Amino acid sequence: MTLLTISSTNPSLANISKISTKTLVQMNDVWASYDSKNYVLREITLSIDNGVNYAIVGQSGSGKSTLLKLMNGMMKPSKGQVKINYQTPDMHDKKFKRVMSKIGYIPQSLGLIKNLTVIDNVLIGALPRIGKLKSFFKMFPENEIKEAEKILKLVGLEDKLERKTYMLSGGEKRRVAIARALVQKPELLLADEIVSELDHVTAREIMNLVADAQRTFNLTSVMVHHNMQLALEYANRVAVIKEGQKILEIGVEGDRIVDFQTGNMTQKEIMELYKE
Amino acid sequence: MNQKNNLIIGIIIAAVVAASYNVGADPAEFVKGIPNLGIIVEEAVQIEPELLGTAFVSMFETIEMAFIGTIVGAAISLPLSMLAARNLNSKYVYGPIRAVLAAIRTLPSILWAILFVIMVGLGPFAGILATIMYTIGFMTKLQYESVEAVDSDPVDAVNAIGVSKSQLIRYVIMPESAAHLLSQLLYTFDYNVRHTSILGLVGAGGIGFYIINYIKFFEYGKAAVFMLVVLATVLVIDWISVKIRDKYIVKTQRGMEVKARIKTS
Repeated sequence: MTLLTISSTNPSLANISKISTKTLVQMNDVWASYDSKNYVLREITLSIDNGVNYAIVGQSGSGKSTLLKLMNGMMKPSKGQVKINYQTPDMHDKKFKRVMSKIGYIPQSLGLIKNLTVIDNVLIGALPRIGKLKSFFKMFPENEIKEAEKILKLVGLEDKLERKTYMLSGGEKRRVAIARALVQKPELLLADEIVSELDHVTAREIMNLVADAQRTFNLTSVMVHHNMQLALEYANRVAVIKEGQKILEIGVEGDRIVDFQTGNMTQKEIMELYKE
Repeated sequence: MNQKNNLIIGIIIAAVVAASYNVGADPAEFVKGIPNLGIIVEEAVQIEPELLGTAFVSMFETIEMAFIGTIVGAAISLPLSMLAARNLNSKYVYGPIRAVLAAIRTLPSILWAILFVIMVGLGPFAGILATIMYTIGFMTKLQYESVEAVDSDPVDAVNAIGVSKSQLIRYVIMPESAAHLLSQLLYTFDYNVRHTSILGLVGAGGIGFYIINYIKFFEYGKAAVFMLVVLATVLVIDWISVKIRDKYIVKTQRGMEVKARIKTS
């Protein structure tokens, strides 16, 4: 890969693209805290347009995961405003539950049900579309089962449908989690460091799989990474979070940086990050 | 520190001695009474094997009572435990339910048996009702504790999909706690067989009815036959539940997970 070249922003172009696309995620001066004393996120302002592959990069404890939880309503901001698809996220709000059913969320722990089979885990993604009584008796409609099988084939697990998930390898578990998110027919995919514990080869396989899915299903994605290299390679916008603050946001086009907004970071520090 | 510990141990021993004196528990009486035990043993070893048939029939009745009590009790306690779990409900839901459960647990099964004998008359039905009540009080507590112990990661991940609470229970809570729930069911059945055996003491049916009557008439040999049958049954049930546990529960625990991982990698 050639080294990234940094070019200056073209504001007029940026404006045109904003008019033609819908903003899916909007955050204005967001602050977040778990104990209402120490803020894990401060002054976060960002906006993610439809179809963008957005990456959030930062070290452990920088507040990246919290940022994702704010996007699917699992956490409320202490200050500031979050809008997802023009709605305020709140997991206890019945109206927002409909929006949640269209947000694929893959936490770092993956959150698979280890005693259920691969196909059952994936069908969980279809639950919001199934009536309570039918889902209680595991009576999934034929088309939902077919859809789940199709997606499992896409992620390469078609021969492991009836395998319990605790028997799968780390890479396979990630494929199940991705399949579960895709069965939701999501508009937005949130993924929290899903390749950080994998070896180099498997990590690329999984990232390629997500990239393919993004193209196939026309997804907007927000992926949290530990590794700047992966972010630059797979995303078209990258935000760097440090100690709860967004210190940098760049737009990436191929191997060129096309848009550059920096906070209090020097160019030297940015290049240090890139070396990681 | 050590001196303080010694003082505490000394105080506890003094309290035991004082309390024993207070209730008239005299070790000398115990030693004096040992020969009496000899008389009972002497009579008990004169086993009357012709009673074995009756003993097995009444033991079977006891097992049936325990079985019905356990299954019906478990069927009632499962939904109750979902309502009593703190990670699934607000305090206005789990609070009152836990209070009722605590009240149910206050009465031992034998007192429930007396209550139901008064209500529905002598016989196994009263025993079954007592077992159900006892199972509800006891098993719901065990179950809601396992539900609360379910790993929060899958719960959060599935909640984020926007599923309903009943779907969350069906697809996350139940499968994740299934091994614990099955283990508790087996343990409760095992325990219910033992305690249903003594419910006959108050006329609530089963093998206990024979045991108490023979003891009342000093026929220890006859009572011994029935007690041996109880002992044998409990051992058999224990053996069966170990087998079931090995087959269905241990498999899902960590050890097998590691084994499976080695196999796949």
